[in-house]
Amino acid sequence: MSNNNSRSRRRVLQGVGAASAAGMASLAGCLTGEEESENTLEVLHGWTGGDGAEAADALFSAFEEEHSDVDLNNKPIGGGGNENLDQTVSTRLNSGDPPSAFAGWPGSNLEQYDGVLGDIQSDVWEEAGLEDAHVEEAVEACQFDDGYSAVPIGSHRMNDLFYNVGVLEDAGVDPESLDDVDALIDALGTIESETDATPLAMSLEAWAILQTWTVVMLSTQGYDAYMSFIEGDGDESAVRDTFETLEELLSNYINDDAASVGFTEVNQDIMSGDAAFIHEGNWVAGAYINEDLEYGEEWDAIRYPGTEDMYGLHIDSFIYPGDNPSPEATATFLRFAGGETAQVAFNQYKGSIPTRSDVSTEEFNDYLTETIEDFEAASEKPPTLAHGLAVDQSTQSSLEDVLNNNFADPFDVDAATAGFMDAI
Amino acid sequence: MKRLVAFLRTVRTERRVRTDGGTADERSTAGRWRDSDFLQSAPFWGPPLVLMGLFVYGAIGWNFLLSLTDHSGFGRPDYTDLGLQNYWAMIQDPSIWEATRNTVVLLVVFTLACLAVGLVLAILLDREIRFGRTFRTVYLLPFALSFIVTAQFWRWMYNVNDGIINQFFGLFGLGPYNWLGDPRLVLGAVIFALVWQFSGYTMVIYLAALRSIPTAQYEAARVDGAGTFRMYRRVIVPQLRPAIVSATVVLVLFALKAFDFLYAVFDGYRPRQGSDILATKMMREGFNNSEWAYSSAIGLTLFVLSLAVIAPYLYTQYKRGNL
Repeated sequence: MSNNNSRSRRRVLQGVGAASAAGMASLAGCLTGEEESENTLEVLHGWTGGDGAEAADALFSAFEEEHSDVDLNNKPIGGGGNENLDQTVSTRLNSGDPPSAFAGWPGSNLEQYDGVLGDIQSDVWEEAGLEDAHVEEAVEACQFDDGYSAVPIGSHRMNDLFYNVGVLEDAGVDPESLDDVDALIDALGTIESETDATPLAMSLEAWAILQTWTVVMLSTQGYDAYMSFIEGDGDESAVRDTFETLEELLSNYINDDAASVGFTEVNQDIMSGDAAFIHEGNWVAGAYINEDLEYGEEWDAIRYPGTEDMYGLHIDSFIYPGDNPSPEATATFLRFAGGETAQVAFNQYKGSIPTRSDVSTEEFNDYLTETIEDFEAASEKPPTLAHGLAVDQSTQSSLEDVLNNNFADPFDVDAATAGFMDAI
Repeated sequence: MKRLVAFLRTVRTERRVRTDGGTADERSTAGRWRDSDFLQSAPFWGPPLVLMGLFVYGAIGWNFLLSLTDHSGFGRPDYTDLGLQNYWAMIQDPSIWEATRNTVVLLVVFTLACLAVGLVLAILLDREIRFGRTFRTVYLLPFALSFIVTAQFWRWMYNVNDGIINQFFGLFGLGPYNWLGDPRLVLGAVIFALVWQFSGYTMVIYLAALRSIPTAQYEAARVDGAGTFRMYRRVIVPQLRPAIVSATVVLVLFALKAFDFLYAVFDGYRPRQGSDILATKMMREGFNNSEWAYSSAIGLTLFVLSLAVIAPYLYTQYKRGNL
């Protein structure tokens, strides 16, 4: 082969090489992406399935109707029980590319975002007069760093005990007569002996155990003991007693597959009549309504025995990142989210209730109407431990670790008590 | 493959012709440099080198740097005060030890089981049984499926009440077992599912190696009076060493990162007690707790473990001149 020949082939190859290098460089150029305009409102949230998607649709279409000048970029990120949403949010906040607003829990949950949130006290809270319109607990939960960084959109109730009416009738159990956890345990025993149904449907995912632990503590130890516990001043014996009661419930009356199923799966058993009671946030009611099950006839709820005068408080909110890409449009959206139109549009589908105290119950179903009335009448509104209100993210995560390692069948009261006392 | 080898060979010969060409002395150093293969081939290896260097090795280096800081939450990491405190914290963290133990158990048991099952399948298929091709496809198919899909299958099959596994054990009056719920069983159940998915892959590697052994050797072993078992043990399996080594490396590297399967089975970063591995622990520390530096330290440990596994392989390949 002559030198010349190989030279010319080499030229061709060089050309190809150079072209590929140039191609790669231009690809790299594309990665930087296009800039979005100041007026584009980008909202991240995790409401993708069932009732959540419908509620988000209702909220955003109501917003677009009222503010057609704002260019809305609504980005649902589903999956993993908000894990994917949280991951996207934290990645974007970390890389200095925050969205306009994102859905998340207010309260102690905000602490993890220290340094990256903005203040919307004057632009949103004062301008829209939200401080007087929303209940005190919701107002406090949205305060951060001497200002406000979030706007509440709705609240789920955490201390409802749902049941299948038919199963309880078969067992001869009167739910209204259950006034403390001991009575509940007796009732569960009756259901076990009288029917084939699982007395208490349960998922042993860590967060689900944590929310049931909360309600058992409120019921057996009272509001003050619970509040001292979450403030880091807990009484060891109160925590231990709670775990002992919970052990009695979980080791005797729940479904066999509790350790490997999620709450949506166990909730199916309530709907099909294979289980009697379930303690969950009241998002499960959305599933009953979607299945056209009749409230009061087929399913019903009582307050978790011993917490009748409380409202287990959970709040969803929109959080406002600092260095906001669209401050004006975001403020417009957040003022809207805190208002009556948005709260009615969103909550009637979400199965939650407005945190405003002046909303008419017209649009809400019977169950939610009663929940709204209870919300106003409740003497105490203990913040939820499993959903960011009561403790910050890392504490909540440690509590969940303790439960996952010590109290998810087998149940180790000593280790779990020690772990809880350490964690807070 | 053969074509590629032939092409590389011509490239080599060309180079020899050029360097022996005798004109090199008359040219300036710059000219020689411009005409060198190294520079002329730069458009080919250059862009990938830059991209790999930046996104793989650069990221590893940055990750190491990050693991020396105390970065958590949001904002910029502070690189001025570096130290090994995260690694020290890892040593003192019992959950890290548990995750490490599970990772190692998963790695060892999974790899050995895959190698053994794959070998048995490969030898059976190599015996020219009827429908051999069909069986080969049947065994290989699970490997082609996504973990998200297989994890969901296994979730259903392991269900305590109506999963098929417990139904099967029920026939013999055993169980029900809480495969994914019982801390003593969960790791074994996960390993079993992974072996099911990966033994088809080892089978194919073995089968390729078996097919390349000349028939004459089988016949010679027969003539010398070896039975089937003895023939494989003494003559055939020893020749599979390269296949075993390369399969092992792939399996071990996978086992270290069995994250996606656990994520899909347990629907999140928090697997059941008894099945937490370093990869899931790393994700929890990073994305649940925003403990970025600590998470980086776990990630780097995982990287070093992978390197420890792959290093002997790379070294032997290098010594044999294969690199």
